[in-house]
Amino acid sequence: MKIAIRHQLSLAVGVGAARAVQHVLLTPLSGPTQTVREWSIDMPGMEGAASFLDGFGNRARLVTQVKPDAELLVTASGVVETTDRNGVLGRLPGEPPPALFRRPTALTKPIGAITSKFRSTPRDGQSRIALLHALMARVGEVLDGGEQSQSQDGASQSQTQAERPPSADFAHAFIGAARALDIPARFVSGYVADADDTPAYDSWAEAWDDGLGWIAFDPTRGVCPTDRHVRVATGLDALSTVPVRSIPAIGSAQVLAMRIEAAQ
Amino acid sequence: MSVTPPFDEMHNADGSIRDPYLILDEWLKEQPPQALSLMRSDAESLFRRLGITFAVYGSNEGTEKLIPFDIIPRIISAKEWRRLSKGIEQRVRALNAFLHDIYHRQEILKAGRVPERLILNNSAFCPEMMGLDPARGVYSHIIGVDIVRVGPDDFYVLEDNLRTPSGVSYMLENREAMLQLAPELFQRLKVAPVETYPETLRRTMESVAPANAPGSPNLVVLTPGIHNSAYFEHSFLADQMGAELCEGQDLFVENGKVYMRTTTGPERVDVIYRRIDDDFLDPLTFRPDSMLGVPGLFDAYRAGNVTLVNAPGTGIADDKAVYTYVPQIIEFYLGEKALLKNVPTYNCTNDEERAYVLEHLEELVVKEVHGSGGYGMLVGPASTRQMREEFRKKILARPDNYIVQPTLALSTCPTFVDRGIAPRHVDLRPYVLVGDDVRITPGGLTRVALKKGSLVVNSSQGGGTKDTWVLED
Repeated sequence: MKIAIRHQLSLAVGVGAARAVQHVLLTPLSGPTQTVREWSIDMPGMEGAASFLDGFGNRARLVTQVKPDAELLVTASGVVETTDRNGVLGRLPGEPPPALFRRPTALTKPIGAITSKFRSTPRDGQSRIALLHALMARVGEVLDGGEQSQSQDGASQSQTQAERPPSADFAHAFIGAARALDIPARFVSGYVADADDTPAYDSWAEAWDDGLGWIAFDPTRGVCPTDRHVRVATGLDALSTVPVRSIPAIGSAQVLAMRIEAAQ
Repeated sequence: MSVTPPFDEMHNADGSIRDPYLILDEWLKEQPPQALSLMRSDAESLFRRLGITFAVYGSNEGTEKLIPFDIIPRIISAKEWRRLSKGIEQRVRALNAFLHDIYHRQEILKAGRVPERLILNNSAFCPEMMGLDPARGVYSHIIGVDIVRVGPDDFYVLEDNLRTPSGVSYMLENREAMLQLAPELFQRLKVAPVETYPETLRRTMESVAPANAPGSPNLVVLTPGIHNSAYFEHSFLADQMGAELCEGQDLFVENGKVYMRTTTGPERVDVIYRRIDDDFLDPLTFRPDSMLGVPGLFDAYRAGNVTLVNAPGTGIADDKAVYTYVPQIIEFYLGEKALLKNVPTYNCTNDEERAYVLEHLEELVVKEVHGSGGYGMLVGPASTRQMREEFRKKILARPDNYIVQPTLALSTCPTFVDRGIAPRHVDLRPYVLVGDDVRITPGGLTRVALKKGSLVVNSSQGGGTKDTWVLED
């Protein structure tokens, strides 16, 4: 599938800053599920930016401005061709060892209501893939509010039906549960060409299987990612895949425009 | 406490003088009464003039103190030093290889020689460093190895300091002081020089400049500022090396490179000896609230445009829990047995070992896994019942937060105290520089516990220092 993307962000770096510095992670890389046909990031300072791979294998850019405008515009756009591999990415060269993604983080604390179901379950021949699918389903059940969820500190999360938690919460819950079961799991940010949804910079997860390598799971949608998902960045959790970090700090960048168009 | 008396570095068991100390002994006997007292007061005014002070955390009598200096040097023979430095070099090479491995393929974890969890779940492990190739593959360029001696040929490594070890300025100033106080002794004994350290540091830093740096790389020392306890050392080293001393606000990142503000405009910076902890180095990558660091510095480092000395994330190799695995680490990377011994260490998360520890607290030393400077430490033989009770509770509450070791009978050196010359316990921190080669400054910082019988040599806990003389053949 051919997916055309145009993603425009606004960074409010404030008035009067002498300098501003950004760490930009908005570059998809070609891999087993996608080939990047064209891609560019347009923003002030991009012409002198340093380009490098970060600790998780993402293409990062270090961008700076002298006496920046109070508001910086960032436009990432391009065309990515995707292939549906039922979520299976396999082993990617140059990536850190999967074991790294067993490291617990503050955002991926396991949620008792999810992990309790699995800890006691004997594995009796159940494959890791079946386990991960069950885990994904359970994350949906708990976070969609079908069941009252219990977070690690015991506080119950009261959600009204209208407020569905953001996709990052689903990914974190899935990752936390997988890591609690000693399965390496990582956070993925990217674009989803979802016909039923407003286009958004979205998140899902990938879990490791010794046989198949990395397998992607989208617990927000309850499916394994298809050719409608474009991977951009991976990391331990949402913090390591933030699309733009900035000093002066910007809070979170405001999305001005997002267009994701899929064509067969 | 052990029953055998501690090893006396000056005297044999029969009271005769050990070879390395023969000339010093003669000299001491020649000194008229009062000469040593005079020398000591000369030394004090010398150090005051030099302005060497250190800050004591949690002390309310002024923050700056003069570190006590003992005028009697510690002497190590050429043969003893050769052995010791071989062991240190082995350790330092293995630990740098370990850092490269755990930030790349993690073969040692796959081989199960070091538990994966101990590394990957450790707060000192820095995931941002994964896959990064520092110049010459060196992670820790400046290392201080803490060593204690318990017998003529018996050395133990207490800990490896691979983050930002301090104290080297004392080593240099102590030598400077001794050269002034007792120049005639240097005529009689051939003492290996330590004065070359700043020049060697400069060469080491130049040798790890990024590939795209110009012919003569620009070096700076990055300090957290005047309120840091080691600020004196930062400015001293910068001065001695002929490098600029900078604070975070003096540097900035532009177009992927690091620059220093100068009166004549921005100047590109190639190698940074940073004395700011990892967490505070760069608010864009690490703690966003840090005002001490330079925004974008880590990314510029990752992009290969600047070298950080030492690299972030080296703390994983001197973590006290990882320490117990250093002999295995040496075998794994070098295929050799460790030349220097590790102090046997009890693991409090193991039920049996913890039970033993809690039964024998009055004989043992308890250290916090992430502690330093002698803070948060229990020395069993010198502890009160109340202190032991407090540590018992702490260990039970967080067994993984403590390591426990037997109390070692640290060797003693003759020390000039109020009642004349008496033996006092010492340790040794030699300084190692790693760049195009491994260079160990002959000697190092000898710390001495000035209180009779005390085994705690930390300056924050009533310790002093001595000049350390390595004799040349």
